[in-house]
Amino acid sequence: MNINGIELKKIRENLWEIPQTNGMRVPGRIYISREMLESTLSEDEALKQVMNVAHLPGIEKYSLAMPDIHWGYGFPIGGVAATNLDEGVISPGGVGYDINCGVRLAITSLTQEEVQPKLESLINRLFQNIPTGVGASGAIRKLSKADLKKILEKGSVWAVENDLGTQNDIQFTEESGTLKNADFSVVSERALERGADQAGTLGSGNHFLEVDIIKEIYDEKVAQVFGLFINQVVIQIHTGSRGLGYQVCDDYLKVLLKASEKYGFRLPDKQLACAPIKSQEGQDYLAAMQSAANFAWNNRQVIMHLAKKSFLDTFNMKESDLGFRLVYDVCHNIAKIEKHRIGNEIKKVCVHRKGATRAFPPGSEMIPEKYRSVGQPVLIPGDMGRYSYVAVGTEKAMEETFGSSCHGAGRNLSRHKAMKEAKGRDLVSELKKKGIIIQAKGYKTIAEEMPAAYKDVADVVDVMHKEGITKKVAKLKPIGVIKG
Amino acid sequence: MSSNYKILSHTADIAAEIEADSLEELFREAFNFWLNSVAEIETFDFEDEIEINLKADSLEQLLVDFLNEVNFLLIVKNILCVEIKNLKIDTEKKLLHTSLNVQNLKDISLLKEEIKSVTYHQMEIRNKKDKYQVKVVFDI
Repeated sequence: MNINGIELKKIRENLWEIPQTNGMRVPGRIYISREMLESTLSEDEALKQVMNVAHLPGIEKYSLAMPDIHWGYGFPIGGVAATNLDEGVISPGGVGYDINCGVRLAITSLTQEEVQPKLESLINRLFQNIPTGVGASGAIRKLSKADLKKILEKGSVWAVENDLGTQNDIQFTEESGTLKNADFSVVSERALERGADQAGTLGSGNHFLEVDIIKEIYDEKVAQVFGLFINQVVIQIHTGSRGLGYQVCDDYLKVLLKASEKYGFRLPDKQLACAPIKSQEGQDYLAAMQSAANFAWNNRQVIMHLAKKSFLDTFNMKESDLGFRLVYDVCHNIAKIEKHRIGNEIKKVCVHRKGATRAFPPGSEMIPEKYRSVGQPVLIPGDMGRYSYVAVGTEKAMEETFGSSCHGAGRNLSRHKAMKEAKGRDLVSELKKKGIIIQAKGYKTIAEEMPAAYKDVADVVDVMHKEGITKKVAKLKPIGVIKG
Repeated sequence: MSSNYKILSHTADIAAEIEADSLEELFREAFNFWLNSVAEIETFDFEDEIEINLKADSLEQLLVDFLNEVNFLLIVKNILCVEIKNLKIDTEKKLLHTSLNVQNLKDISLLKEEIKSVTYHQMEIRNKKDKYQVKVVFDI
């Protein structure tokens, strides 16, 4: 098949290969259905970006893309690439501006019937307690430089030490909420200034906090291990490292543009600026990126604490009765040093996941003991009017995708087109008729983020399910949303 | 405010193709594109003036740095740069000097967009037949 002048070879029903051509060090591989390939990738540059990523020095096996692939900067969104630690590089283009943007899912013991009578006041309280919108700030006291230093080093452990979470929360966060080689000293003053007042804030754009119910369960055994049951009220939080992360990316793009020249890399896109992982520039970016990742985990932890408090206050309940528990927190914009099988060898590689979620299998030592019999929860949010999914990682993901899966639906309409579609409509009422209450800073965000602006996440999740990369566990339906 | 740039279709972010008769004008138009992306122009009211001086390795880098600088002032300092008073670019040394009229905002939460950053995506300043052109993409 030929899409946008790029030849694709069908490997399996939902797996396509771009053969290795000029300058590519490995082939490209895209997990996607024929229908999605033709309908979503014919007009953008995402496939070209899969080819561009294949130029990175030290890339192993394939330049990969998940079914929610779309046009990004450097890497496509949905892109995954592993580089070896000997000659391989690290690139901010494989992580993105919103370092450790991610999702967490927390459960309650409440059912929809118990929450429905007070749903509106719950959403209002969540909106009041959790700052949203452009430059949102002030969720907790303004942080001193010493506090920021600790957050950058400790991640969500800082929140727990400051009574904004529990030990359980740490246990159920990817990497236990802390990447250990973070280094405050390589993060710029400007980045710290952008982060100083933003811990515990959602921000704007596609970030959200959603109150959902479990609508459907596909795998009873796994759902039980994760603590999920039909009609249960749960929350999802989607945000990242806010201004601090954006600034770290900015700062190091400049550093790595120079480094790319210094090391003589010929790259097809400036946004793929990179440095050898072993080099000083590479190590500095890795440490700064890990610091921003820790900031993001702390951010989601603080937001979750504020959400729990909102539930307790709204329903006038004791904590022991609410049954509030973090199921898991995953990042989907990150580069991490992990062990993977390359040929006959187990090698340490730097796995870049840009809009892709880690999906480790049963038995992995990297996931909480409680989940080792079934695998890692993979959280895949959809749009605010339809549904989201919980899936679980598999051994096949380890064999084929460096333990990675999709991360969401991906946009279908530009913001401009969405605004045009929304003109003359009352989206708040439309959502209310569907049983969804929304609170947002302004109507513009609601219009830009309207359900029709996104692809159907079910199509994305089904590709991963059919290919055996992740298996579906449960479907979530939103009943309340707060946005920036 | 008239805009001499063309908004490009982009699924997730904001992009524009900018054309101008001079390099200075190109930077001014890129600034206008940024301003119209983050704020409603009716609200402008000058209160103060600031100066920005930058040095970069390339003209593209200079443009990215300039736009990121005004964006930083807005997001972190609540200072909205609303008009370029004067702007000089030294193309040899890749230096930029500008003074801008600014408005101090009490609250930025109702601004149109939060721009995470100005990207390097497809950014190349071209000079053809006395016209300068550049494509600018904001990650939002």
